[in-house]
Amino acid sequence: MTLTTMFLKMGEGFGKTCAIFFLTLLFSLPLGMLVALLRMSRNRLVSALTRGVISILRGTPLMLQLLAVTYGPYYLFGISVSRNKLIPVVTAFAINYAAYFAEIYRGGIESMPVGQYEAAQVLGYTRKQTFLRIILPQVIKRILPSVTNEVVTLVKDTSMAFTVSYQEMFTIGKQIANSQTSFIPFLVAGLFYYVFNLLVDFAMGRVEKRLSYYR
Amino acid sequence: MKKILAWMLAAMMVLGCGAAMADTFVHGIDPEYDPFSYMGPDGEYTGFDVEIARAACEVAGLDYEIFPVNWDTKEVQLDAHECDVIWSGMTIKQSMIDAGYVISAPYYDSTQVLVVRADSDIKSSADLAGKIVAVQLGTSGEDLLHGELADLTATFQELVTTENFLTAFTNLEGNAVDAVFVDLPVADKYAKEHDTVTILDEELGKEQYGLLFRAEDQELCAKIEAAVQTLVENGTYAEIAAKYPSIENNLLFLQAK
Repeated sequence: MTLTTMFLKMGEGFGKTCAIFFLTLLFSLPLGMLVALLRMSRNRLVSALTRGVISILRGTPLMLQLLAVTYGPYYLFGISVSRNKLIPVVTAFAINYAAYFAEIYRGGIESMPVGQYEAAQVLGYTRKQTFLRIILPQVIKRILPSVTNEVVTLVKDTSMAFTVSYQEMFTIGKQIANSQTSFIPFLVAGLFYYVFNLLVDFAMGRVEKRLSYYR
Repeated sequence: MKKILAWMLAAMMVLGCGAAMADTFVHGIDPEYDPFSYMGPDGEYTGFDVEIARAACEVAGLDYEIFPVNWDTKEVQLDAHECDVIWSGMTIKQSMIDAGYVISAPYYDSTQVLVVRADSDIKSSADLAGKIVAVQLGTSGEDLLHGELADLTATFQELVTTENFLTAFTNLEGNAVDAVFVDLPVADKYAKEHDTVTILDEELGKEQYGLLFRAEDQELCAKIEAAVQTLVENGTYAEIAAKYPSIENNLLFLQAK
Protein backbone atom coordinates (compact mmCIF):
# COMPACT_ATOMS: atom_id res chain seq x y z
CA MET A 1 0.00 0.00 0.00
CA THR A 2 1.37 3.40 -0.92
CA LEU A 3 1.63 6.11 1.70
CA THR A 4 -0.88 8.19 -0.27
CA THR A 5 -3.52 5.43 -0.16
CA MET A 6 -2.86 5.03 3.54
CA PHE A 7 -3.36 8.75 4.21
CA LEU A 8 -6.47 8.83 2.01
CA LYS A 9 -7.99 5.80 3.72
CA MET A 10 -7.20 7.10 7.19
CA GLY A 11 -8.34 10.57 6.22
CA GLU A 12 -11.68 9.06 5.30
CA GLY A 13 -11.82 7.53 8.77
CA PHE A 14 -10.76 10.85 10.24
CA GLY A 15 -13.95 12.42 8.83
CA LYS A 16 -15.89 9.93 10.95
CA THR A 17 -13.70 10.68 13.95
CA CYS A 18 -14.52 14.37 13.53
CA ALA A 19 -18.23 13.55 13.23
CA ILE A 20 -18.13 11.81 16.62
CA PHE A 21 -16.16 14.68 18.12
CA PHE A 22 -18.29 17.61 16.99
CA LEU A 23 -21.67 15.93 17.44
CA THR A 24 -20.70 14.74 20.92
CA LEU A 25 -19.74 18.27 21.96
CA LEU A 26 -22.89 19.69 20.40
CA PHE A 27 -25.10 17.43 22.46
CA SER A 28 -23.12 16.92 25.65
CA LEU A 29 -22.29 20.55 26.48
CA PRO A 30 -25.96 21.64 26.83
CA LEU A 31 -27.01 18.26 28.24
CA GLY A 32 -24.30 18.59 30.89
CA MET A 33 -25.79 21.91 32.02
CA LEU A 34 -29.21 20.30 32.37
CA VAL A 35 -27.73 17.44 34.39
CA ALA A 36 -25.81 19.90 36.59
CA LEU A 37 -28.98 21.86 37.36
CA LEU A 38 -30.89 18.64 38.17
CA ARG A 39 -28.00 17.56 40.39
CA MET A 40 -28.25 20.83 42.34
CA SER A 41 -32.05 20.71 42.49
CA ARG A 42 -33.64 21.48 45.85
CA ASN A 43 -35.84 18.46 45.36
CA ARG A 44 -33.97 15.75 47.27
CA LEU A 45 -35.31 12.94 45.08
CA VAL A 46 -34.28 14.56 41.79
CA SER A 47 -30.87 15.41 43.14
CA ALA A 48 -30.26 11.91 44.51
CA LEU A 49 -31.44 10.28 41.28
CA THR A 50 -29.18 12.45 39.15
CA ARG A 51 -26.32 11.71 41.47
CA GLY A 52 -26.89 7.98 40.96
CA VAL A 53 -26.95 8.33 37.17
CA ILE A 54 -23.73 10.37 37.17
CA SER A 55 -22.12 7.79 39.41
CA ILE A 56 -22.96 4.98 36.97
CA LEU A 57 -21.81 6.95 33.93
CA ARG A 58 -18.51 7.90 35.48
CA GLY A 59 -18.00 4.58 37.22
CA THR A 60 -18.28 2.21 34.24
CA PRO A 61 -16.03 2.03 31.17
CA LEU A 62 -17.11 4.00 28.13
CA MET A 63 -16.54 0.86 26.07
CA LEU A 64 -19.25 -0.93 28.05
CA GLN A 65 -21.62 1.99 27.66
CA LEU A 66 -21.05 1.94 23.90
CA LEU A 67 -21.99 -1.74 23.75
CA ALA A 68 -25.02 -1.17 26.00
CA VAL A 69 -26.36 1.75 23.97
CA THR A 70 -25.76 0.01 20.63
CA TYR A 71 -26.96 -3.50 21.38
CA GLY A 72 -29.05 -3.03 24.56
CA PRO A 73 -32.21 -1.93 22.70
CA TYR A 74 -32.00 -4.98 20.46
CA TYR A 75 -31.58 -7.51 23.25
CA LEU A 76 -34.12 -5.88 25.55
CA PHE A 77 -36.86 -4.82 23.14
CA GLY A 78 -36.00 -6.43 19.81
CA ILE A 79 -35.44 -3.04 18.17
CA SER A 80 -33.09 -3.61 15.25
CA VAL A 81 -29.67 -2.03 15.47
CA SER A 82 -29.23 1.15 13.50
CA ARG A 83 -27.36 0.75 10.21
CA ASN A 84 -25.97 4.21 10.77
CA LYS A 85 -23.59 3.51 13.64
CA LEU A 86 -23.06 7.20 14.24
CA ILE A 87 -26.38 7.38 16.11
CA PRO A 88 -25.62 4.95 18.96
CA VAL A 89 -21.98 6.04 19.07
CA VAL A 90 -22.82 9.72 19.47
CA THR A 91 -25.61 8.91 21.94
CA ALA A 92 -23.25 6.93 24.16
CA PHE A 93 -20.48 9.53 23.95
CA ALA A 94 -22.86 12.46 24.57
CA ILE A 95 -24.40 10.85 27.65
CA ASN A 96 -21.01 9.88 29.05
CA TYR A 97 -19.42 13.27 28.49
CA ALA A 98 -22.51 15.10 29.79
CA ALA A 99 -21.92 13.42 33.15
CA TYR A 100 -18.35 14.76 33.29
CA PHE A 101 -19.33 18.23 32.06
CA ALA A 102 -22.16 18.33 34.63
CA GLU A 103 -19.71 17.91 37.48
CA ILE A 104 -17.42 20.57 36.03
CA TYR A 105 -20.36 22.97 35.73
CA ARG A 106 -21.47 22.21 39.28
CA GLY A 107 -17.99 22.87 40.61
CA GLY A 108 -17.98 26.20 38.81
CA ILE A 109 -21.45 27.25 39.93
CA GLU A 110 -20.87 26.28 43.55
CA SER A 111 -17.60 28.18 43.65
CA MET A 112 -19.41 31.49 43.24
CA PRO A 113 -19.60 33.42 46.56
CA VAL A 114 -23.05 33.68 48.20
CA GLY A 115 -22.50 37.41 48.48
CA GLN A 116 -23.12 37.79 44.76
CA TYR A 117 -26.56 36.22 45.03
CA GLU A 118 -27.38 38.47 47.98
CA ALA A 119 -26.18 41.56 46.15
CA ALA A 120 -28.22 40.62 43.08
CA GLN A 121 -31.29 40.12 45.26
CA VAL A 122 -30.83 43.56 46.83
CA LEU A 123 -30.57 45.06 43.36
CA GLY A 124 -33.87 43.48 42.46
CA TYR A 125 -32.69 40.69 40.11
CA THR A 126 -34.94 37.66 39.84
CA ARG A 127 -33.37 34.23 40.43
CA LYS A 128 -33.33 33.51 36.71
CA GLN A 129 -31.71 36.85 35.91
CA THR A 130 -29.13 36.36 38.64
CA PHE A 131 -28.13 33.00 37.23
CA LEU A 132 -28.08 33.89 33.55
CA ARG A 133 -26.61 37.41 33.74
CA ILE A 134 -24.32 37.34 36.74
CA ILE A 135 -23.37 33.82 37.74
CA LEU A 136 -23.18 31.94 34.43
CA PRO A 137 -20.79 34.30 32.58
CA GLN A 138 -18.31 34.08 35.45
CA VAL A 139 -18.72 30.31 35.70
CA ILE A 140 -17.94 29.83 32.02
CA LYS A 141 -14.70 31.75 32.38
CA ARG A 142 -13.73 29.82 35.44
CA ILE A 143 -14.37 26.32 34.13
CA LEU A 144 -12.89 26.76 30.67
CA PRO A 145 -9.52 25.08 31.45
CA SER A 146 -11.28 22.00 32.87
CA VAL A 147 -13.58 21.86 29.85
CA THR A 148 -10.58 22.01 27.52
CA ASN A 149 -9.17 19.04 29.40
CA GLU A 150 -12.27 16.98 28.69
CA VAL A 151 -12.41 18.09 25.06
CA VAL A 152 -8.83 17.00 24.46
CA THR A 153 -9.60 13.64 26.07
CA LEU A 154 -12.65 13.30 23.83
CA VAL A 155 -10.49 13.57 20.71
CA LYS A 156 -8.54 10.52 21.82
CA ASP A 157 -11.55 8.65 23.20
CA THR A 158 -13.18 8.58 19.76
CA SER A 159 -10.98 5.57 18.98
CA MET A 160 -13.18 3.61 21.40
CA ALA A 161 -15.89 3.48 18.72
CA PHE A 162 -14.13 0.42 17.27
CA THR A 163 -15.96 -1.71 19.89
CA VAL A 164 -19.16 -1.40 17.86
CA SER A 165 -17.21 -1.58 14.58
CA TYR A 166 -17.71 2.02 13.63
CA GLN A 167 -14.99 2.57 11.03
CA GLU A 168 -13.30 5.64 12.45
CA MET A 169 -9.66 6.48 11.85
CA PHE A 170 -8.01 4.26 14.43
CA THR A 171 -10.07 1.23 13.40
CA ILE A 172 -8.97 1.72 9.79
CA GLY A 173 -5.40 2.24 10.96
CA LYS A 174 -5.43 -1.10 12.77
CA GLN A 175 -6.73 -2.85 9.66
CA ILE A 176 -3.99 -1.35 7.51
CA ALA A 177 -1.38 -2.17 10.16
CA ASN A 178 -2.56 -5.77 10.07
CA SER A 179 -2.62 -6.22 6.31
CA GLN A 180 0.73 -4.48 5.86
CA THR A 181 2.28 -5.91 9.05
CA SER A 182 3.63 -2.47 9.78
CA PHE A 183 3.43 0.05 12.59
CA ILE A 184 3.44 3.08 10.31
CA PRO A 185 -0.39 3.44 10.37
CA PHE A 186 -0.18 3.88 14.15
CA LEU A 187 2.34 6.69 13.71
CA VAL A 188 0.04 8.29 11.17
CA ALA A 189 -2.87 7.96 13.60
CA GLY A 190 -0.81 9.59 16.35
CA LEU A 191 0.01 12.43 14.00
CA PHE A 192 -3.67 12.95 13.12
CA TYR A 193 -4.68 13.06 16.79
CA TYR A 194 -1.86 15.36 17.80
CA VAL A 195 -2.46 17.89 15.05
CA PHE A 196 -6.16 17.86 15.81
CA ASN A 197 -5.51 18.48 19.48
CA LEU A 198 -3.11 21.30 18.64
CA LEU A 199 -6.00 22.96 16.83
CA VAL A 200 -8.36 22.33 19.75
CA ASP A 201 -5.78 23.81 22.11
CA PHE A 202 -5.36 26.85 19.91
CA ALA A 203 -9.10 27.41 19.57
CA MET A 204 -9.77 27.06 23.29
CA GLY A 205 -6.85 29.38 24.03
CA ARG A 206 -8.43 32.01 21.81
CA VAL A 207 -11.77 31.65 23.58
CA GLU A 208 -10.11 31.97 26.98
CA LYS A 209 -8.34 35.11 25.86
CA ARG A 210 -11.51 36.68 24.56
CA LEU A 211 -13.29 35.98 27.81
CA SER A 212 -10.59 37.50 30.02
CA TYR A 213 -11.97 41.00 29.54
CA TYR A 214 -11.26 42.09 33.11
CA ARG A 215 -7.51 41.67 32.83
CA MET B 1 -30.65 28.91 23.13
CA LYS B 2 -32.74 28.80 19.96
CA LYS B 3 -29.60 28.63 17.90
CA ILE B 4 -28.34 25.66 19.88
CA LEU B 5 -31.68 23.90 19.43
CA ALA B 6 -31.59 24.54 15.71
CA TRP B 7 -28.11 23.06 15.47
CA MET B 8 -29.13 20.02 17.45
CA LEU B 9 -32.14 19.47 15.20
CA ALA B 10 -29.98 19.78 12.11
CA ALA B 11 -27.53 17.27 13.54
CA MET B 12 -30.31 14.82 14.33
CA MET B 13 -31.48 15.01 10.73
CA VAL B 14 -27.98 14.20 9.52
CA LEU B 15 -27.92 11.24 11.89
CA GLY B 16 -31.37 10.09 10.85
CA CYS B 17 -30.67 9.21 7.24
CA GLY B 18 -29.28 5.90 6.02
CA ALA B 19 -32.04 3.29 5.95
CA ALA B 20 -31.65 -0.47 5.61
CA MET B 21 -32.14 -2.19 2.27
CA ALA B 22 -33.81 -5.49 1.55
CA ASP B 23 -32.33 -8.25 -0.61
CA THR B 24 -28.80 -7.20 0.17
CA PHE B 25 -26.43 -9.84 1.42
CA VAL B 26 -24.33 -8.22 4.11
CA HIS B 27 -21.09 -10.10 4.52
CA GLY B 28 -19.60 -9.82 8.01
CA ILE B 29 -15.81 -10.08 7.94
CA ASP B 30 -12.92 -9.79 10.32
CA PRO B 31 -11.05 -7.02 8.49
CA GLU B 32 -7.77 -8.19 10.05
CA TYR B 33 -7.67 -11.81 8.94
CA ASP B 34 -5.23 -12.16 6.12
CA PRO B 35 -5.55 -14.00 3.67
CA PHE B 36 -9.28 -14.72 4.12
CA SER B 37 -10.38 -11.11 4.60
CA TYR B 38 -8.25 -8.02 4.91
CA MET B 39 -7.70 -4.55 3.55
CA GLY B 40 -5.92 -4.79 0.21
CA PRO B 41 -3.15 -2.49 -1.03
CA ASP B 42 -5.73 -0.23 -2.71
CA GLY B 43 -7.57 0.28 0.57
CA GLU B 44 -10.54 -1.94 -0.40
CA TYR B 45 -11.45 -5.11 1.49
CA THR B 46 -10.37 -8.29 -0.24
CA GLY B 47 -9.23 -11.83 0.51
CA PHE B 48 -10.30 -15.35 -0.40
CA ASP B 49 -13.60 -15.30 1.48
CA VAL B 50 -14.47 -11.84 0.18
CA GLU B 51 -13.87 -12.82 -3.45
CA ILE B 52 -15.84 -16.06 -3.14
CA ALA B 53 -18.73 -14.34 -1.35
CA ARG B 54 -18.87 -11.61 -3.98
CA ALA B 55 -18.93 -14.18 -6.80
CA ALA B 56 -21.53 -16.30 -4.97
CA CYS B 57 -23.82 -13.28 -4.61
CA GLU B 58 -23.59 -12.68 -8.33
CA VAL B 59 -24.68 -16.27 -8.96
CA ALA B 60 -27.49 -16.04 -6.39
CA GLY B 61 -28.65 -12.64 -7.63
CA LEU B 62 -28.11 -10.82 -4.35
CA ASP B 63 -26.69 -7.35 -3.81
CA TYR B 64 -23.37 -7.61 -2.02
CA GLU B 65 -22.19 -5.48 0.84
CA ILE B 66 -19.26 -5.83 3.25
CA PHE B 67 -19.51 -5.18 6.95
CA PRO B 68 -16.35 -5.33 9.09
CA VAL B 69 -17.27 -6.78 12.48
CA ASN B 70 -15.54 -6.55 15.81
CA TRP B 71 -14.40 -10.17 16.19
CA ASP B 72 -15.04 -10.41 19.97
CA THR B 73 -18.69 -9.48 19.50
CA LYS B 74 -19.41 -11.01 16.09
CA GLU B 75 -22.33 -13.15 17.32
CA VAL B 76 -24.01 -10.10 18.84
CA GLN B 77 -23.60 -8.23 15.58
CA LEU B 78 -25.03 -11.14 13.59
CA ASP B 79 -27.99 -11.48 16.00
CA ALA B 80 -28.68 -7.78 15.72
CA HIS B 81 -28.97 -8.04 11.90
CA GLU B 82 -25.95 -5.87 11.29
CA CYS B 83 -24.79 -8.50 8.86
CA ASP B 84 -26.35 -11.67 7.43
CA VAL B 85 -23.38 -14.00 7.76
CA ILE B 86 -20.03 -14.33 9.48
CA TRP B 87 -17.79 -15.65 6.72
CA SER B 88 -14.20 -14.87 7.43
CA GLY B 89 -11.96 -17.82 8.15
CA MET B 90 -14.22 -18.62 11.07
CA THR B 91 -13.65 -21.80 13.04
CA ILE B 92 -16.81 -23.83 13.64
CA LYS B 93 -17.20 -24.21 17.38
CA GLN B 94 -19.44 -26.55 19.34
CA SER B 95 -20.76 -23.57 21.31
CA MET B 96 -22.12 -22.06 18.09
CA ILE B 97 -23.99 -25.25 17.22
CA ASP B 98 -25.34 -25.44 20.77
CA ALA B 99 -26.54 -21.85 20.55
CA GLY B 100 -28.71 -22.81 17.56
CA TYR B 101 -26.91 -20.97 14.77
CA VAL B 102 -27.15 -22.31 11.24
CA ILE B 103 -23.70 -23.37 10.07
CA SER B 104 -22.70 -24.20 6.50
CA ALA B 105 -20.77 -27.27 5.46
CA PRO B 106 -17.09 -26.77 6.35
CA TYR B 107 -14.89 -25.52 3.51
CA TYR B 108 -11.42 -25.37 5.03
CA ASP B 109 -9.24 -27.62 7.19
CA SER B 110 -7.20 -25.69 9.64
CA THR B 111 -4.98 -26.34 12.57
CA GLN B 112 -3.34 -24.36 15.33
CA VAL B 113 0.44 -24.01 15.43
CA LEU B 114 3.08 -22.41 17.62
CA VAL B 115 5.26 -19.64 16.26
CA VAL B 116 8.57 -18.96 17.99
CA ARG B 117 11.62 -16.80 17.35
CA ALA B 118 13.96 -18.28 14.76
CA ASP B 119 16.75 -18.63 17.32
CA SER B 120 14.48 -20.03 20.06
CA ASP B 121 15.31 -23.30 21.82
CA ILE B 122 11.62 -24.22 21.98
CA LYS B 123 11.21 -27.22 19.67
CA SER B 124 7.77 -28.50 20.65
CA SER B 125 4.85 -27.75 22.96
CA ALA B 126 6.63 -29.78 25.67
CA ASP B 127 9.30 -27.05 25.90
CA LEU B 128 6.70 -24.43 26.81
CA ALA B 129 6.81 -25.10 30.56
CA GLY B 130 7.50 -21.86 32.38
CA LYS B 131 7.26 -19.80 29.18
CA ILE B 132 5.00 -16.93 28.22
CA VAL B 133 2.59 -17.64 25.35
CA ALA B 134 0.43 -15.15 23.43
CA VAL B 135 -2.92 -15.79 21.74
CA GLN B 136 -5.46 -13.48 20.07
CA LEU B 137 -8.56 -12.61 22.05
CA GLY B 138 -11.73 -14.30 20.80
CA THR B 139 -10.01 -16.76 18.46
CA SER B 140 -10.50 -20.52 18.47
CA GLY B 141 -6.91 -20.82 19.65
CA GLU B 142 -7.87 -19.08 22.86
CA ASP B 143 -10.79 -21.50 23.35
CA LEU B 144 -8.50 -24.47 22.76
CA LEU B 145 -6.00 -23.30 25.35
CA HIS B 146 -8.77 -22.93 27.91
CA GLY B 147 -10.56 -26.14 26.93
CA GLU B 148 -8.98 -29.16 25.26
CA LEU B 149 -5.42 -27.97 25.84
CA ALA B 150 -5.95 -26.68 29.38
CA ASP B 151 -3.33 -29.12 30.70
CA LEU B 152 -0.75 -27.61 28.37
CA THR B 153 -1.79 -24.09 29.37
CA ALA B 154 -1.28 -24.97 33.02
CA THR B 155 2.45 -25.46 32.36
CA PHE B 156 2.88 -21.90 30.97
CA GLN B 157 4.27 -19.19 33.16
CA GLU B 158 1.60 -16.93 31.68
CA LEU B 159 -0.93 -16.85 28.84
CA VAL B 160 -1.15 -13.36 27.32
CA THR B 161 -4.19 -12.40 25.23
CA THR B 162 -3.55 -9.75 22.61
CA GLU B 163 -6.03 -7.74 20.64
CA ASN B 164 -4.77 -8.76 17.20
CA PHE B 165 -2.12 -10.89 15.50
CA LEU B 166 0.24 -8.05 14.82
CA THR B 167 0.65 -7.21 18.51
CA ALA B 168 1.10 -10.90 19.30
CA PHE B 169 3.90 -11.25 16.74
CA THR B 170 5.49 -7.95 17.74
CA ASN B 171 5.53 -9.13 21.35
CA LEU B 172 7.23 -12.30 20.16
CA GLU B 173 9.90 -10.52 18.14
CA GLY B 174 10.41 -8.00 20.94
CA ASN B 175 11.07 -10.82 23.41
CA ALA B 176 8.03 -10.08 25.58
CA VAL B 177 6.54 -13.52 24.90
CA ASP B 178 8.19 -16.81 23.95
CA ALA B 179 5.61 -18.27 21.59
CA VAL B 180 2.43 -17.31 19.74
CA PHE B 181 -0.47 -19.76 19.39
CA VAL B 182 -2.24 -19.06 16.13
CA ASP B 183 -4.14 -20.45 13.10
CA LEU B 184 -1.81 -22.02 10.54
CA PRO B 185 -2.67 -19.75 7.54
CA VAL B 186 -1.95 -16.61 9.56
CA ALA B 187 1.31 -18.05 10.90
CA ASP B 188 2.28 -19.16 7.42
CA LYS B 189 1.88 -15.75 5.87
CA TYR B 190 3.70 -13.97 8.67
CA ALA B 191 6.61 -16.43 8.72
CA LYS B 192 7.01 -16.08 4.94
CA GLU B 193 7.41 -12.32 5.28
CA HIS B 194 9.56 -12.34 8.42
CA ASP B 195 12.54 -14.66 8.76
CA THR B 196 12.88 -13.67 12.43
CA VAL B 197 10.20 -16.21 13.35
CA THR B 198 9.59 -19.86 12.59
CA ILE B 199 6.64 -22.23 12.82
CA LEU B 200 6.96 -25.38 14.92
CA ASP B 201 6.11 -28.57 13.05
CA GLU B 202 3.41 -29.67 15.46
CA GLU B 203 -0.32 -29.48 14.84
CA LEU B 204 -2.33 -28.72 17.93
CA GLY B 205 -6.05 -29.20 17.52
CA LYS B 206 -7.73 -29.78 14.18
CA GLU B 207 -10.53 -27.48 13.22
CA GLN B 208 -12.66 -26.48 10.26
CA TYR B 209 -13.89 -23.20 8.89
CA GLY B 210 -17.51 -22.55 8.01
CA LEU B 211 -20.15 -19.87 7.55
CA LEU B 212 -22.30 -18.71 10.46
CA PHE B 213 -25.92 -17.71 9.87
CA ARG B 214 -28.74 -16.73 12.24
CA ALA B 215 -30.99 -19.59 13.40
CA GLU B 216 -33.88 -18.53 11.14
CA ASP B 217 -31.75 -18.18 8.01
CA GLN B 218 -31.71 -21.85 6.95
CA GLU B 219 -32.91 -20.84 3.49
CA LEU B 220 -30.24 -18.21 2.99
CA CYS B 221 -27.56 -20.69 4.02
CA ALA B 222 -28.81 -23.23 1.45
CA LYS B 223 -28.94 -20.54 -1.23
CA ILE B 224 -25.35 -19.44 -0.59
CA GLU B 225 -24.10 -23.03 -0.37
CA ALA B 226 -25.71 -23.79 -3.74
CA ALA B 227 -24.15 -20.68 -5.26
CA VAL B 228 -20.70 -21.66 -3.98
CA GLN B 229 -21.22 -25.16 -5.41
CA THR B 230 -21.93 -23.57 -8.80
CA LEU B 231 -18.63 -21.70 -8.52
CA VAL B 232 -16.82 -24.93 -7.72
CA GLU B 233 -18.36 -26.62 -10.75
CA ASN B 234 -17.66 -23.86 -13.25
CA GLY B 235 -14.07 -23.50 -12.09
CA THR B 236 -14.34 -19.98 -10.67
CA TYR B 237 -13.65 -21.34 -7.20
CA ALA B 238 -10.35 -22.93 -8.22
CA GLU B 239 -9.43 -19.79 -10.15
CA ILE B 240 -9.85 -17.59 -7.08
CA ALA B 241 -8.13 -20.16 -4.85
CA ALA B 242 -5.07 -20.11 -7.12
CA LYS B 243 -4.50 -16.49 -6.04
CA TYR B 244 -4.06 -17.63 -2.44
CA PRO B 245 -1.39 -20.36 -2.54
CA SER B 246 -0.94 -20.45 1.24
CA ILE B 247 -4.45 -21.83 1.79
CA GLU B 248 -5.16 -23.55 -1.53
CA ASN B 249 -4.16 -27.03 -0.36
CA ASN B 250 -6.55 -27.13 2.58
CA LEU B 251 -9.71 -26.12 0.72
CA LEU B 252 -12.15 -29.00 1.08
CA PHE B 253 -14.20 -28.33 -2.05
CA LEU B 254 -11.10 -28.63 -4.20
CA GLN B 255 -9.91 -31.84 -2.56
CA ALA B 256 -13.20 -33.61 -3.27
CA LYS B 257 -12.51 -33.51 -6.98
